[in-house]
Amino acid sequence: MSKAGRQLIKKILLGCLGVAMFLGIWQLLMTVGIISQRTMSTPGQVMETFLVKLSSPDPDGATVQEHFWSSLKLAMAGFFSAILVGIPMGLVMGYYRTARRLLNPVFEIIRPIPPIAWIPIVILFLGIGMPAKVFIVFMAAFVPCVINSYTGVKQTNPVYIQAAKTMGAGHWRIFTRVCIPSAVPMVFTGIRISLGSSWSTLVAAEMLASTNGLGYMIQMGRTMIRPDTIVVGMLVIGCTGALMSILLGRVEQHIAPWRD
Amino acid sequence: MSLEGNTEIKLEHVSKTFVDKKNMSYPVLKDICLEVKKQEFLVLLGAGRTGKTVLLELISGLDGEYEGTISFAGGQLETKDMGIVFQKYALFPWKTVLENVEMNQKFRGMEKEERIAKAKGYLKLVGLEGFENHYPHQISGGMKQRTAIARAFAGESDIMLLDEPFGALDAQTRWQMEEEVLRIWEEEKRTVIFVTNNIEEAIYLGDRIVLLEGSPAMIKKEYIPDMKRPRSYTDTRFLELRNEIGDDFALVL
Amino acid sequence: MARMKKWMDLLLPVLSVFLLLTLWILLHVRKPDIMPAPLDVLQKLWEITLHPISKATLPIHILVSLGRVLGAFALASVLGVTFGVLLGWYETFHHIAWPVFEIIRPIPPIAWIPLIILWCGIGETSKVVIVFIGAIVPIVLNTVAGIRQVNPMLLKAARSMGANDMAIMREAVLPDSLPSIVAGMKTALSTGWMCVLAAEMVVARQGVGFLIIRGMDSGDSALILAGMVVIGVVSALITVALNYLEVRLCPWKVTQK
Repeated sequence: MSKAGRQLIKKILLGCLGVAMFLGIWQLLMTVGIISQRTMSTPGQVMETFLVKLSSPDPDGATVQEHFWSSLKLAMAGFFSAILVGIPMGLVMGYYRTARRLLNPVFEIIRPIPPIAWIPIVILFLGIGMPAKVFIVFMAAFVPCVINSYTGVKQTNPVYIQAAKTMGAGHWRIFTRVCIPSAVPMVFTGIRISLGSSWSTLVAAEMLASTNGLGYMIQMGRTMIRPDTIVVGMLVIGCTGALMSILLGRVEQHIAPWRD
Repeated sequence: MSLEGNTEIKLEHVSKTFVDKKNMSYPVLKDICLEVKKQEFLVLLGAGRTGKTVLLELISGLDGEYEGTISFAGGQLETKDMGIVFQKYALFPWKTVLENVEMNQKFRGMEKEERIAKAKGYLKLVGLEGFENHYPHQISGGMKQRTAIARAFAGESDIMLLDEPFGALDAQTRWQMEEEVLRIWEEEKRTVIFVTNNIEEAIYLGDRIVLLEGSPAMIKKEYIPDMKRPRSYTDTRFLELRNEIGDDFALVL
Repeated sequence: MARMKKWMDLLLPVLSVFLLLTLWILLHVRKPDIMPAPLDVLQKLWEITLHPISKATLPIHILVSLGRVLGAFALASVLGVTFGVLLGWYETFHHIAWPVFEIIRPIPPIAWIPLIILWCGIGETSKVVIVFIGAIVPIVLNTVAGIRQVNPMLLKAARSMGANDMAIMREAVLPDSLPSIVAGMKTALSTGWMCVLAAEMVVARQGVGFLIIRGMDSGDSALILAGMVVIGVVSALITVALNYLEVRLCPWKVTQK
């Protein structure tokens, strides 16, 4: 076998060893009683609860899939509307001085407010239903989209712009054919941050004011002292986040293959 | 194993092959036999990517995987027993010029006052007095390379390895640095192996020039620029030798 | 023409802020019971600075939140850098521990809140632990990235000067990864600030996150907006302080840009 192949096998084996050790220590701590059964469940119990929760609505009124879809729908609605508004806004702000002068002050006022700080006021305005949460997720995803699109355009290599000018390109063409393509990698960085931020902000919103969703599920797990449901919820939240990020990576590969 | 007579470094049938992740082999050096004399200024000349840097890394011990033998007059030498000047300076950006030079003896455990005095001496030798407290990003490319040379010299090894040290400099600075390096070498004679891809630089500097060629690289030819120093770029013999090497070089390219 | 441009440069930002205020006032006129006027918010800020809410005045609430963040941040820095160095430098350790880290990492720190409250109760510890979880992840990630991207030439140079492994770590690897580590700490601090708000919003008796949730529970929107102003200002100040610190810590990196 090749040296590289042996390296790979070693890597996989050690990785499995690591995960096994992690689960082993977790189990051991619980068996010995260092962590109490009341505040934590064993890996086996978590697995069992996950399977049960696929079909049972106990203890929080919905199965894990129902919570999952409810969260995903809200997150996607807020995320995509933020992309649709934020990216064009950032791009235009990056290129057109007037737009920058007009929009930047407002943006700078909004920017430092962490998305979760919007939760109370939005709930007061819109109630605890779907529009409130979509708006909160929107705020979370909007800021990074704008910042990165803006920076991406501003960082366009001036040589490219001059080259385009010598070829007779006008403002609009320089903006659409030079600045926007060269901003693509930055824009994707923004989208990536937005995605993470919208997902975790949604969880917060659901924990604070909701009657369904994964955030609600783990919050109910706390009030009912069911560590198993909490851990199941956390794992589903984590896996979903990871999958979305992988998916985005694929899209990015497709749209901007020149980026390594 | 120590060497006899006037030989400082001896390479016997040295070969090197890289294996990549897909298990493909890339032979870079084949059957290199070379003797470097004490206090000789040897130039390794070759076009880009002909394994010159690799050969230097084998000699310096930075890379220990090769076939053949490399032996030294001083016995079993390691990386730390050689002064190395790297292509891109490799200065520590968070340290001043003086601290960079001083570092060599610091790693070797010399007392602070002694090593500072020594570092200052070498900075003077390379003409950097007054720049001790500058940071690398505040000085020019030529000055960075002077610092790197001072740092390598401060280790007081008998063997100096210079890997295309002036490759990143502009032509004017480069000529200046070539003069400088000869001056320094004549003041403090060491055994020098100097790697370059520039024919004129090779003729201007070398006691002996070794031309590496091909893939894997082998020693193609040796030249002795039998001219008194300082050599002149417009000297007839200089130009003749340049044309001769140029013709051999052309085949390589 | 040039003068016109200059005028526009001054006029547009003013117009922009003016429009925002107009929008705010319009909202206030339409729904006076849930949207306070800008002046009401200022008045509220003044009021909570002088009169305590939940036994603490506004400065105390700010200090409580900042204290939680800074304590957890300090802990996360020490442990995160250590763990990151081990992960970045020792190949075997990396193979063993990285997959576990990768499993835990995608869980947003906010999602830890219920479990941590179950473990540590509703006191100070749980807030510090939540911020710690939020802060340690970016520190570890950036430390690992920094160490893996150390300029190999510096390592070679150090070896040629006879440096042993400890000296290479101290004099070459750590300083060369410092900019990346500091960048990680910047992310960690803003994440930590967000986490403390979330934790305080879920359960707390003091802190700025508590203030806005109290505003929500009692329908006091002036309090919410005042809290948001404070949160925004503190966030902005944290950013400014960190940028300053970054320049001080890694001057060679900043001047190169």
